[in-house]
Amino acid sequence: MYRYDEFDTTFVRQRVDQFRDQVNRRVSGDLTEEQFRPLRLMNGLYLQLHAYMLRVAIPYGTLNARQMRQLAFIADEYDKGYGHFTTRQNIQFNWPKLPDVPDILEHLADVEMHAIQTSGNCIRNVTADQWAGATADEFEDPRPYAELMRQWSSLHPEFSFLPRKFKIAVTGAAADRAAIAYHDIGLRLKRNAAGETGFEVMVGGGMGRTPMLGATVRDWLQKEELLAYLEAIMRVYNLHGRRDNKYKARIKILVHELGAEEFTRQVEDEYARIDAPRIMPPPQELTRIKTYFAPPAYEELADQSPELARRMNENTDFAQWVDRNVVAHKQAGYAIVNISLKPVGGVPGDASAAQMRAVADLAEDKSLDEIRVTHEQNLVLPHVRKADLYEVWQSLKAHDLADANIGLATDIIACPGLDYCALATARSIPISQDISRRLGDITRQRDVGDLKIKISGCINACGHHHAGHIGILGLEKRGEEYYQITLGGSGDENASIGEIIGPGFSSETVTDAVETIVDTYVGLRQDGETFLDAYRRVGPDPFKEAVYATH
Amino acid sequence: MAKKIKGPQVLTANLLSDGMVVFLGSDGTWRASIDAADMARTEDGAAALEARAAVFVRTNHVVDPYLIAVDDTGSGFVPVAFRERRRIAGPSVQPFFNTQPNGRLAFAG
Repeated sequence: MYRYDEFDTTFVRQRVDQFRDQVNRRVSGDLTEEQFRPLRLMNGLYLQLHAYMLRVAIPYGTLNARQMRQLAFIADEYDKGYGHFTTRQNIQFNWPKLPDVPDILEHLADVEMHAIQTSGNCIRNVTADQWAGATADEFEDPRPYAELMRQWSSLHPEFSFLPRKFKIAVTGAAADRAAIAYHDIGLRLKRNAAGETGFEVMVGGGMGRTPMLGATVRDWLQKEELLAYLEAIMRVYNLHGRRDNKYKARIKILVHELGAEEFTRQVEDEYARIDAPRIMPPPQELTRIKTYFAPPAYEELADQSPELARRMNENTDFAQWVDRNVVAHKQAGYAIVNISLKPVGGVPGDASAAQMRAVADLAEDKSLDEIRVTHEQNLVLPHVRKADLYEVWQSLKAHDLADANIGLATDIIACPGLDYCALATARSIPISQDISRRLGDITRQRDVGDLKIKISGCINACGHHHAGHIGILGLEKRGEEYYQITLGGSGDENASIGEIIGPGFSSETVTDAVETIVDTYVGLRQDGETFLDAYRRVGPDPFKEAVYATH
Repeated sequence: MAKKIKGPQVLTANLLSDGMVVFLGSDGTWRASIDAADMARTEDGAAALEARAAVFVRTNHVVDPYLIAVDDTGSGFVPVAFRERRRIAGPSVQPFFNTQPNGRLAFAG
């Protein structure tokens, strides 16, 4: 993985010193809250409902064991012993005290981490396929390009005060696990007939109150052109994006209002005008970055593991875990392990400090010192020998991290909602816990099969409800929470926006409604048909009839 | 001119140091419990609460003070707005993180 060079180290340390001084000036009264607010937000520090919240960047969701241990240390020392992994592959601490934050940032800098640009109207943490560099279905590892974009966008003077926040995702595989169509810019590495890899560039996707899927503005972009072309997109947005209305300020609105064709024309005109060679990094720089993402020191192994086969035959629980949580690796004899942070009835994305340390130990011993965070709020050990899977599973079990539910009904995304968030209008975590308990029986979950339930506690859609096969949006009406249900959303390579099925449900009845929807699917599915396939075949009517007849 | 109010009001804010939810008490201190808050029934009374809170903003003890409407139950106050009821209750999913023990002195001013 990428290691800071001298410039990175100096830059992050200087930023810590700068923020320490700003905090001191705030506490002493030299800065008012109005003056201090934008400064703390630039360093990822929010004031939420009950406390401050510090959002720490995890570039493209990649961590090593030392970094994870440091996060555990911060959770224990400065928070309440846990952290919350987010849908931007970051981690949030919910209870830091203001005077402690500079020390926390110092501890992060010690392990090459920071909280810069995790808030504000700038280019946020670039996200990527959580299986990048390991998955068997990849054209090219997207991480070097994600790192290149991280360096390019960090404190970019032209793009530090955009009309609104800006999110970029990149994948290098045919299957989209990074939800690129829902991003301001989505990048897909693909291969042409000549065997070369290049980018498809999508612009104008997003969630929030106006969900949209990105439009392809370039079907093929040479890789070396990436930064220059992104700069052309950003310039068109920076110039024409609305600053008079925050609800219309995202690039998706600009693309929508101009039309994708006209927006593309303006980008291409800008691209023809700018000094691309000045922006494009020298080839040796990309080569330098790529060296950090060279394949780790894999052992030469047979692809099949007799040990694994034997253990799976002997232990049904282990076999079920392998079936749901373990996926193919590109290297013979290795596998990718997905660690669920969704225990039945738990808080999606939360991990205790002890769990973080356990994952760090496993990463060091069994996964070539790599950990990934997924945008679905789980963790990944990307390089595990198949022969070690049983031992890894046992260790995970000992730390309540072995739920075999990846991609199943209880693998729910939920934003912090009104339990923490100052913007939320309703709670989302208790709803996810209730649904998880209701649908938690593993036999039932396996029978239902692939199902993505996503819950947001307000219209800003941090819980990605628009992309949920079953999406739930929490709102407030006359002093009570109620929940709107959408069906048919998807964030994958066949992305779609969920459709509202009708009037909302109270907090007491929404789980019943979800269960009715699941049971309706089970009743009408054809052989091998997933929930999403079935919904796309039959549409919303059978589900509406079932839900509104019984509720 | 004092702003219009609807029903009884108390004044809330977050402590600068840790963001804790607090209420301006009748004794001039900031209280963790809403039941210890000073309550205003008139527009002038509400304006007086805001003026008192502004002093604490200037001395950097609290941030973002604002009035909230409450129901006076006789034994305490219950916020009218759902958001405020959730805000004083703490995270419902981790009640052991509740930071609002009744009557605790948050800041003595």
